[in-house]
Amino acid sequence: MDRRTFFRSSLLAGAGLGLAAPAVLPGLARAQGAADAEAAAEAARAGLSLAGKTIAISAVGTEHFFDIKAYQAQIDEVERLGGTAIGLDAQRNDQKLVSQLQTLVGQKPDAVIQTLGALPIVDPGLKALREADIPVFTVDVVSENAINNSTSDNFSLGAQLALQLVSDLGGKGNIALFTAIEGVVPCEIRLEQLRAVLKYYPEINIIQPDLREIIPNTIQDSFQKVTALLSQYPEGKLDAIWASWDIPVLGATQALLAAGRKDVLTYGVDGTPEYVALVADPNAPAGAVAVQQPDLIGRTAVRNLARYFAGETLPSTSFVPAILANRQNATEVQKQVGQI
Amino acid sequence: MADLTAEGADHIAAKPTRHAGQSGFAALLPLAALLAFGLILLVFALSSAQFLRPGNLFQVIAQSSILAVLALGLTVVVIGGGENTLSGGIDLSLAANLGMGAAIYAVLAQAGQPDLLAIPAAILAGLALGAFNAFAIVVLGMLPLLATLGSMTLAVGIEQVVSRNTTILVATPLRRFLGGHDPLFGLPILAWALLLTSLIFALIVHYSRFGLNLQAVGGNPAAARAAGLNTRAWTAGSYLVSGFCGGLGALFSVGFLGASSTGSAEYLLPVIAATFLGTVFSRRLSPTIGGTLLAALFLGVLANGFQLLNISSYWVAGIQGVLMLAVVATTSLRRPL
Repeated sequence: MDRRTFFRSSLLAGAGLGLAAPAVLPGLARAQGAADAEAAAEAARAGLSLAGKTIAISAVGTEHFFDIKAYQAQIDEVERLGGTAIGLDAQRNDQKLVSQLQTLVGQKPDAVIQTLGALPIVDPGLKALREADIPVFTVDVVSENAINNSTSDNFSLGAQLALQLVSDLGGKGNIALFTAIEGVVPCEIRLEQLRAVLKYYPEINIIQPDLREIIPNTIQDSFQKVTALLSQYPEGKLDAIWASWDIPVLGATQALLAAGRKDVLTYGVDGTPEYVALVADPNAPAGAVAVQQPDLIGRTAVRNLARYFAGETLPSTSFVPAILANRQNATEVQKQVGQI
Repeated sequence: MADLTAEGADHIAAKPTRHAGQSGFAALLPLAALLAFGLILLVFALSSAQFLRPGNLFQVIAQSSILAVLALGLTVVVIGGGENTLSGGIDLSLAANLGMGAAIYAVLAQAGQPDLLAIPAAILAGLALGAFNAFAIVVLGMLPLLATLGSMTLAVGIEQVVSRNTTILVATPLRRFLGGHDPLFGLPILAWALLLTSLIFALIVHYSRFGLNLQAVGGNPAAARAAGLNTRAWTAGSYLVSGFCGGLGALFSVGFLGASSTGSAEYLLPVIAATFLGTVFSRRLSPTIGGTLLAALFLGVLANGFQLLNISSYWVAGIQGVLMLAVVATTSLRRPL
């Protein structure tokens, strides 16, 4: 695929958003709160209700900005639509996550919404739920056992972030990647999009070996890893650090600040307020962040569930728009998504 | 090395707990603990029709199996090393040992190696870490707390190198077997595996010469030495057993999750909690296999019951903490001032 075709397909994918997600507003430039209020009003107009339904909200964890926002929004939305939410937070413990899904099979809620999780760990549980005739919806989990997955358009935001990186670097330089994301499909897509863009910029070199983030203690660990990397790549030898989410680059940016390095820029995805603030800070070496709308993603999942109960046919994926915040517009984006 | 007679070992093992009789409250504690456990089961049963179904109860046993098998290993270490919090037997490397074994198993399986090779590799890795602990503690004379803290870091490092810190899908005959259900009753195989393992451990630790000697060594090392026991060998042995449990836990874990997991460190505190909570189920307020099993199941039941009653799982951690404090407070009653 040449670059022009690539851009055309990106545009097509972008145009597909509105068709795929009737719940989602074309709200790229809107404040999240306003978009949300409007979507809520739309849900009310559509007569969506979960009255008398018990919905299990199962999340891989809630310690990151994205997780807690998406998780809390789902619980709030279930209650707002008159349902009862069973909130299950696995606290990033795989044994707990598998156990809570197993217990749900016997518990028989009216539906389950799974937020995140490595596919090999969650999918057997989702399959068991589906086989027990319990409808499964997901947030950021691509599984054939789910009726619908609510997610950002990771293809588009991954490409946008990659293009921003390429543009900031002037098409050449050395970059380091955090890539310990196997099994987490949204993150895999963002990495694939980066690679797709970089294919056309042969003067950008990915230094080896890749950095491998860990969970938990991600920030502390990435701080240490990047500090070590900086001594290996002195000024002028490294230009950017990229991660498929923004907690590792939050640690990376802090390491750059601590080392007084302004020649390296960081790039990430999610929109954790601390990281967006770094992108907005002209003195911090943070290049750009794709800001997701986890609150709206969570609410979209619940509204889709209500639509399903109302007999509507749903697309397999509902894309929720993300906004790219770079050094020029980050303050504006902070205002739009209600972070300042 | 001379072996003790059963009577002699019992006498020595009983010696440090002679104060148990001094407090009527402490003597009643096991009964109270069992009653409390029963009461909680009753509350769950009355609140949720789902709770008492055999399928659910056995599922809880299966879900507790990984934690329980690690706690069994720690129990053996605490019995053999004595219960002193600072200088006694402790194995902080157990959870990391599981992570290391699971990573080794998963990587071998992913590379197409048969279970015949991958299973012994996981168990041998666990035993090797146990041997490392034994060497550091018995030969180098390091405090178990520090030695196993070091080996924990070592195991975490090996796990991260081997697995590249990723979740590796495991679809092997072992996974299908351990993650499956028995054909007769349709109950989880892991539940049976845990019950069988516990039974074997209980027989060895509480009803064999090996177990009695181990209790003697942990209870009163000076007396055990005077009776002709090679206490260093027994202490070393207890860490090997613990290492074995780490390897077995690794197999249980891949059987349960269908993958190697990067989060094995999460087990560390619950393993310690289960082992020390388990002491309230024993007459002498000492670690026992049965007590540890009950405590591990108790923690599993709490998580299951709370989910069925739609109570936040955050309470489980809170209650675990309160119980730990209560156990530490009450077991200190039996110690002389």
